Parts: sequence; structure tokens; C-alpha cells
Amino acid sequence: MNMTGIIFSEMYGEDLGVFTHDRNLAAIPFGGRYRLVDFVLSNMVNSGINNVGVLAKQHYHSLMDHLANNQEWDLNRKNGGLLLLPPFASEAVNHNNRGKLDELRNALNYLENASTPYVLLADAYVVYNMDYRPMLQAHIDSGADVTIAATRVEDSPAAAFPSVLQAGRSGRVTSYALNCTARSGDFAGMGCLIISRQLLTSAIREYTARGIYHLERDFIQHQFNRGQLSLNLYEFKGVCLRIRNVDEYFNSSLAIINEEVGGPLFRGDRPIYTRVTDEVPTYYGPECSVAACVIADGCSIEGEADNCVFSRGVRICKGAKVKNCVIMEGSVVGENVELENVIVDKWANITAGAELKGLPTNPVIIRKGATV
Amino acid sequence: MIERKKECIAMLLAGGQGSRLYVLTEDTAKPAVPFGGKYRIIDFSLSNCVNSGIDTVGILTQYQPLELNDYIGNGQPWDLNRNFGGAHVLPPYTRAKHSDWYKGTASAIYQNITFVDRYNPKYVVLLSGDHIYKMDYHKMLEFHKEKGSECTIAVIDVSDAEATRMGIMSTDDNMAITDFEEKPKHPKSNHASMGVYVFTWEVLRQYLIADEEDPNSENDFGKNIIPAMLKDGRAMYAYPFQGYWKDVGTLDSLWQGNMDLLDPSDPLNIHDPNWKIYARNYASPSTRIDPAARVSNSLISEGCIIRGKVEHSVIYTGCIVEEGAAVTGAVIMPNTIVRKGADVNYAIIGERCVIEENATVGEKPPAGSDPFAHNGIAVVGHRKTIASGTVVKAKEII
Repeated sequence: MNMTGIIFSEMYGEDLGVFTHDRNLAAIPFGGRYRLVDFVLSNMVNSGINNVGVLAKQHYHSLMDHLANNQEWDLNRKNGGLLLLPPFASEAVNHNNRGKLDELRNALNYLENASTPYVLLADAYVVYNMDYRPMLQAHIDSGADVTIAATRVEDSPAAAFPSVLQAGRSGRVTSYALNCTARSGDFAGMGCLIISRQLLTSAIREYTARGIYHLERDFIQHQFNRGQLSLNLYEFKGVCLRIRNVDEYFNSSLAIINEEVGGPLFRGDRPIYTRVTDEVPTYYGPECSVAACVIADGCSIEGEADNCVFSRGVRICKGAKVKNCVIMEGSVVGENVELENVIVDKWANITAGAELKGLPTNPVIIRKGATV
Repeated sequence: MIERKKECIAMLLAGGQGSRLYVLTEDTAKPAVPFGGKYRIIDFSLSNCVNSGIDTVGILTQYQPLELNDYIGNGQPWDLNRNFGGAHVLPPYTRAKHSDWYKGTASAIYQNITFVDRYNPKYVVLLSGDHIYKMDYHKMLEFHKEKGSECTIAVIDVSDAEATRMGIMSTDDNMAITDFEEKPKHPKSNHASMGVYVFTWEVLRQYLIADEEDPNSENDFGKNIIPAMLKDGRAMYAYPFQGYWKDVGTLDSLWQGNMDLLDPSDPLNIHDPNWKIYARNYASPSTRIDPAARVSNSLISEGCIIRGKVEHSVIYTGCIVEEGAAVTGAVIMPNTIVRKGADVNYAIIGERCVIEENATVGEKPPAGSDPFAHNGIAVVGHRKTIASGTVVKAKEII
């Protein structure tokens, strides 16, 4: 494969602060047994990319722990493999997320030593299942400097996206806007682009030397507007979930319960890999009632669950009623507890008889390790 | 130069056919038969080794080894990918002068003396990959050392009826073995051999060589090596084991072993986080239970899609139960599909089967009785398709 993968594990984490208190965005649990990073990382592996650098700046212990055994992704390679790229201690660590070019400067050595002509840059906050090989082919065929993956926006007048594009039939981008509302027919960027390694490394060197750090705004948009950078759009037609805030996290988590969303995301031919924890299969008790749920292994369900996502090792005790909830690893919902529209972070304990109700638009959030 | 060595390694006999599992072992060895939702039978012995601190395991294969070889791979799922030691699959091989299959259990170890010698171990744990149990072999090894034993055999107390089908040890008060009988008509004791042995390697090595030279020997541990050591008055002890131990070598016991996992008292203690059973993982997504599904008293592994009714059952990784299908008291092995309106009762369905629409497998027991009472288990072998509308009766084996 002639492409190196780079994953940004942060950047859009600010609005998910409640989950990123002690982990970075890429390590947020999602879909029962996964963390957000698993999706882009598995996409890369399934596309034949075996050089992957993961950029991390803060709170990356969870991420390191998760990725430690890179064997699960088949990235325990002699040539290439997976490399976590935290900042050099001597760099200005105090600066928070000045921009992706700043982060990429930490990976400059890594990129300069890579042997591939192309680089794929991907954000971890987008969940989708995609083969990057046709995208690379489209990039090469287009002759453009940068190819951006995007989804078509349909009848969604009010939705805002980090990047909004318009393109002609050939895919040539005619308009590139940042952080704005998309109209029907526009394209929304998926935080995923292909660029030649040469162009990327020279941009990193040139821009960061002048104290300019924003990849999309200062480099891509600026150069595009001056007519010095050609952009190609690659339309992705599959399921794409963007997770930039608690609302999107909650809705996307529950969305995968539906076959139309969960089915294309978890395909047999392109599996999503994750860390293996050797839990036992999930036990469903004699009096349980489970409908419309996605459930990982190692759970024990003895109460009622409706429209929920449970990570590994979740316990729902007798008499508990849980509806529209996302419950992360190892949390215990005690006897006769009633939960509705609640997100429970890992290892929390909801003691017997408690009653918690949020709204679909404003779920109650229980912090990691909390006792309620 | 002082060479590296191991105090103790394990040799796991995984070459048996397990003919009493009929269609389930037609093209795969018994230790590779799926068990308990996500495991294979061999996972229990392998995990016991690792959890007991044994990091070198020779796995002796002979009968239909392909699936087992593939499954063991480099041993990584069990943490047995080691620089010195780890998991080694040991099939029979040809030699310069003569070649042999493994004629018996003793001959299998004899032919791998070179492998064992490479680690120059003081002790060898001999295991069969046929049983479901959790056991700390390290404690047994300590017992072996304390007693000054040369051969220690793990025993579990069984009923008189069961004793007539097993290898029975008579012991003195100090647990020294005084007599050993294979399947006795009138058992003198209730200590049954579990097929778990600790040998002092130096001693076992001599007996293996002598046994191989004896043309009349069947080259079997139970029939030849153990009686020979007993006759010579070697230090032999029985190590009493208490806990869940099940030979899942028959269709009924395999079904029962799976159903035991639904027992709320968890006799096997499978949930113990300090003694996990490891298995190879196939990157299946979380299981999806659809709105129309009804699930109760069941164990369901990862990667399943459940739209129908499932009760008193163990559903393995990657199975699909479609809407209107009903599965009761069944063991459904990996990647099997139960289509719309199919009815599966008290059955074992092999891997990658398709039970087509409105097919019936097995019989419902009389209403109101114990949910686990049945008229006999129906069995469908691996990769079979049961055509639409077909009826497979109780006790039938397809």
C-alpha cells in the first residue's frame, strides 16, 4: 500500500468534555465494545494500510492502554505498524490544540521517514466503514493536490459542519467553507483527506515555521482560495456518524441499534477491530426483557432493557428498568433502578432503587466511577 | 555455558477423535469442538496452564489437525507467544529410519522427547484437551514436590455408577496410590482419574523409552505406563480435586455442559476475573437484539443478531435467529443461521449451519415440566443445511 495513515485523536474533543476528563476523544467508548479510534484505524487496516501514526497530545493513557497490543489490528509489523506519536516534551506542551499542523510537526520525522508517496489524514471523531483504496485511486486519477472525503447533505437545512464543500460533477471542488451551515446538495467533510507526502511535509515545515498551525483554514482553504491548491471531492455514500458533542454521541450511539445504521457499519468483510478482553458471553436471566439493544460480551441482564447500548461487563440487576441508555464498561445498575435517557460512563454504580430521567435532547450523564 | 531451562512444561494430548461426538468430530478433533458460547474445549486446559504459570505447552495433534492448528496459531490469544517456550503444535513426523503415527498416548510423548528435552524441565504436566474445568496445576505441582512423588494423578470423587466407566485409584491415608483399575466392574474406591498428571521428567523419560521397546505394549499411559510404574513401586500419589469437572465427550454431556453454564450458581465459576478462560477472537461486533426478540435464561456470545425467541439456550458467536424462529434448550455453534419460523428444541446445531424457514429440529418436552427435561437431543453436524419444512426428530443425528 502506498499510503501512510495519520489519525488525529483530539481536536474536536472540547464539546465532549464530560467524557474527555481523563481520556482523549479517540478513546471514548462507542458501540458496545469499541472506542472511537477503532473505526478509522480498522478502515485503514482493511484498506491495506500498515503504517499508522496516531497523534495524541493530552490524556492519552487510555488510548495507549487500548492500542498497546497492536496485534488486534494486525499492526504488529516489522516494517511499519502502529506508532503512537505524543508531543516531544521540549515542545510547547502547554499550548492547547493550536492546530493540526502543530500536531503534525511532531510527526515530521515519522512522515519524512515513511516510504509511501501518499498520506491519509483522518479524524477519530467520525464513525464509518470505508475502503480507502478507491478514494486513493480517485485522488490519483483526479490529479488534484488534495482529495477530501465527504457525505452529501440531504434536507438538513440547519446542520453545521466543520467543512462544507461544493463540487462539480467531476468531483472538482468549487467552494470550500469551514464551520458553517450546509444546504441540501452541499457536501460535508468527514475529517478525512488524502495528500501527497511531499506536499504535506513541505507545508508543515513552511507554515509552522511562520507560527501558522491551522491545517484546514491556514493551508487548505487559504491556498485553495488563491487558486494554488486544487481540491477533489470523494463522495462517501455509506453510514457516517459524526460525534462532536454529547447530543451527537447519544444519538449516534443509539442509532446503531437500527439495522440500517448498524448493519453497514459492522460488515463481515471489513470487520472493526478492537482490544480483546476475554469476557464471557453475556448472560440473559430468566426474567429479563430485552428489546432493541446492542450488547457487548460479559454482561449480565436480569432486568428490563429497551433501546440501549451496553459495553462489556455491564450488570442490569433484577427489577431494573433501563430505557434509551448508553451504559459503558463495568457499570452496575442495581435492583429496581429506573433509568431513561441516561449515559453512564465506565465503572459507575447506580445503587438499588435510584431513579434517573433525562430528556432525549439532554441526557443525564453519570461520570466514570461515580456512585449514585 | 549454562543453558536456559524451565521448571515445568505441559504436554497436551489433542489428537483424539472423540468418536462419541459423532458428526461434531467428523472433520475436526475433539479439543477443537466449540463450547460455551465463544470457547473451544481446548481453551480450558490451555487457559489453566497459563493461569497456573506454565508458559510452555506442547500440543500433540494427530486426528484432523487442520482446524486445531489454525486455532492455536502462534498461541497469542492465550499469551503463549513466548520467545523461549510458548505454544507448539506437535504433529507426528517422518524420521530417517522409521516413521510412526502416534500409536498411543505414551508413544505421542515418546516421539517428542527431543521437544521436552529442549526445555530440560524437572517436571512435566500431562493433560488431555477433552475436559471442561478450572484447575490450578501449580498447586498440584507443589503437592507433587511435597510428597516427593514421581507421578501424581489428579482425582475427583465420583459415584459408584460413574466409577465403572473411569480409571479408578485406590489410595492409602497419605494419598499414595496403591492400586489402579481401568473401568472396574466393582470399584474399590471413588477416586477417578481426571486425565491430569504431573511427572518427574527424568523418571517418565525412562519409562517411555522402555515402553516403546516393548513390542507387546499398547503405548498407553492408562494401560501401560501407570501400571508399570505402580509395579515397580514408584512414588505415586493421587491429588484430590474439588470443583466442576466435566468430560464433554458424548453428545448428551456436551449439551449438559453447556446448560450448566446457565445455572445461576455458576458451578464452573466461569465469571471469575482472576481465572479467565481465553479464546481466539474473531472481531465480531456487539450482539444486536431486535425489538421483536424475546430472550430469557440464555447465554449469547458476540456478533449475533437475535430477532426471534431464545430461551434456555447457549448461542455462540456470529449466529442469527430470524423473526418468528424459536430456539429452546439448544446449543447453537458459531455462525449458524436459524431462519424465519424455524423451531429448534433441545438440540445441538453445529457451526455454519442453516436451519431453513419453518424447519423443525428436536422435540418440545411435555408442557409444564422442568425446562431442561427432554426426550433426547437432536444433533445437526457442522455446515449442514436443514431444508425448509424438514423435521429432524429428537435423538436424530444429521
